[in-house]
Amino acid sequence: MSYVTINQVTKGYENQVVLNDISLTLKKGEFATLLGQSGCGKSTLLRSIAGLEGVDVGRILIDGHDITNLSPRQREVGMVFQSYALFPNMTVFDNIAYGLKMKKVKNVKSKVKNMIDMVDLIGKEESFPHQLSGGQQQRVALARALVMEPKVLLLDEPLSALDAKIRKSLQKELKRIQKELDITTIFVTHDQEEAMTMSDRIFVMNKGKVVQSGSPSEIYTSPVNTFVAKFIGNYNVCNMEVFHKLVRSTELKGNEVAIRPEVLQLVSVGEDSLDIQENWGIKGFIKDVSMTGNVLRYEVETEESAFLVDYLHHRGEMFEQGARVQILVPKKECIIL
Amino acid sequence: MKSSLTFHKVIVGLLVMYLLIPLVGTFLFSIAGKWDHTILPESYTMDWYIELFQDERFYDAFRRTLFLIVMSVGLSVVIMLPTIFIITVYFSKWEGLLQAAAMLPYGIPPIVGAVGLIKVYSDGPIQIAGTPWILIGAYFITILPFMYQGIRSSLRTINAVQLVDAAELLGATKFQSFRTVVFPNIISGILVSTLLSVALLFSEFAFANLLVGGRFETIQIYLADKLNSSGHLTSAIVITYYSMILLLTGIVLKLTFRNEKNPVGSNKKRILSFFKKKYCNKNTAIEGEK
Ligand SMILES: Nc1ncnc2c1ncn2[C@@H]1O[C@H](COP(=O)(O)OP(=O)(O)OP(=O)(O)O)[C@@H](O)[C@H]1O
Ligand SMILES: [Mg+2]
Repeated sequence: MSYVTINQVTKGYENQVVLNDISLTLKKGEFATLLGQSGCGKSTLLRSIAGLEGVDVGRILIDGHDITNLSPRQREVGMVFQSYALFPNMTVFDNIAYGLKMKKVKNVKSKVKNMIDMVDLIGKEESFPHQLSGGQQQRVALARALVMEPKVLLLDEPLSALDAKIRKSLQKELKRIQKELDITTIFVTHDQEEAMTMSDRIFVMNKGKVVQSGSPSEIYTSPVNTFVAKFIGNYNVCNMEVFHKLVRSTELKGNEVAIRPEVLQLVSVGEDSLDIQENWGIKGFIKDVSMTGNVLRYEVETEESAFLVDYLHHRGEMFEQGARVQILVPKKECIIL
Repeated sequence: MKSSLTFHKVIVGLLVMYLLIPLVGTFLFSIAGKWDHTILPESYTMDWYIELFQDERFYDAFRRTLFLIVMSVGLSVVIMLPTIFIITVYFSKWEGLLQAAAMLPYGIPPIVGAVGLIKVYSDGPIQIAGTPWILIGAYFITILPFMYQGIRSSLRTINAVQLVDAAELLGATKFQSFRTVVFPNIISGILVSTLLSVALLFSEFAFANLLVGGRFETIQIYLADKLNSSGHLTSAIVITYYSMILLLTGIVLKLTFRNEKNPVGSNKKRILSFFKKKYCNKNTAIEGEK
């Protein structure tokens, strides 16, 4: 039974279609992520769910109720904006209490206290937003949305303004709170790593369409098209004719083949450990080596196209730039697109 | 580097002198007794000020001016604030139109405007030519650009659209969100444009003279009338008048300064843009005074 249903939603501005026939469903308590490049319509979809933007065609349902034509205040949806949108004239306490006061709820004080406790802001109750750090403002924004016990929590790139370290710790904390409250969440990001670590389900968007949905590992290991392959995992995507030429075999059929950089292996030319049954070999030379923390990334130039090969950064064994190598391509890791 | 600094200081010094000498001269003249063939007055007296402050006409004129200004500025705030808010937040595609309308008064010289207004309102359904009401109308238009710029940039600075979005999602009605999260954050911005408008209207002469003239003697017209009588008295009026405007400007600057020191922004970028906006505000204000 789906808790959130978005049914064939389409929306355009003057001369451009921003959401193109989007349909998706979420289960209760699920943490879903909308992942896509800048301008692909993520924020617009989120704002449509919140009611801050109308849709041209389609329906939006939450918990069995059609909310397509309700105003934002009737939807019981919480949202955290990218720039937080805290009320500058109110203290942390008043910011968080705002929604409860508007709804004339009882026990405002104890509810707000609990929330402040949960997001770890004790002692900051009387501070104003401009006296807080970015990470603290972020927590206030989150607390302000959560205290209303919304049916769905919408997060529009809530962490993108923070630096890498705080970001990592807030990711964990966000996930903890989400699980603790079991709140259905839609999270927007254009950072695939963030999407992978946080989500139960990822919806990859491109140009106003959902191009693939699935669990992080499904999306990562079996992309359905070139866009997803390139966007998600730095896949090596190779035209099939070119690939046939490189591996001197026409065993694979299809348009393109996609191979993850970390399943490839390098051996020195002459060192004949090629298992013909399991692998293909492609000859080339190391064009470039780069290091991102624990990963060594080789760019290997072959006669037709370049391949990326990722290695965990071990001590010792490393190929020099210019070294002639053979790439081992495991047959079963080749994904046909 | 150092010599260019001295150069700048000299220039600024000269400019200040150029601006201040007439003022100092006027001030001295207003408290001078006998002053014929010496550099500084031979004797000093407060007689002119005493005469001025005992003149019933002065108080009447002052009261009338105050009435006009309070009416026009008050009307402007009451009408423009909701209008600009509604347009920026809910009908942003009409913003260009509103902006064009608000800037229009810049393009019409007061003399031309006054003649047109007299023609239109001297007969027909609304015959208010020669009454203070026509002046209030004209003043409303005169300060429109300031009010518009001031209010709109205050709204932009606090990112009112997003605050309203946030408030509405938390269950506030449109009116509640305006009252509780927008208004408290733009009040000081509005105060600044209000005071600027007041200062501007205090020194407005063309409309006052052409539209009502002696029939509704304002402080400006009173001043012009007295120019023909004693020079000492005129100087006293000018100094009094100037002090009032100075006081107003001082309050404006103080308010602006306080805002900058204690901004309502929540991060550095916002503070920066706040400074920029304020700076633009002042610029337009200065342009307007020319
Ligand atoms: N109010 C608007 N008027 C016209 N076009 C708009 C408006 N808002 C958004 N768009 C357009 O809609 C498209 C999608 O915008 P949206 O903000 O949803 O992108 P996004 O996926 O959230 O991007 P980002 O990752 O940069 O935030 C963009 O091409 C944008 O130009
Ligand atoms: Mg966005």
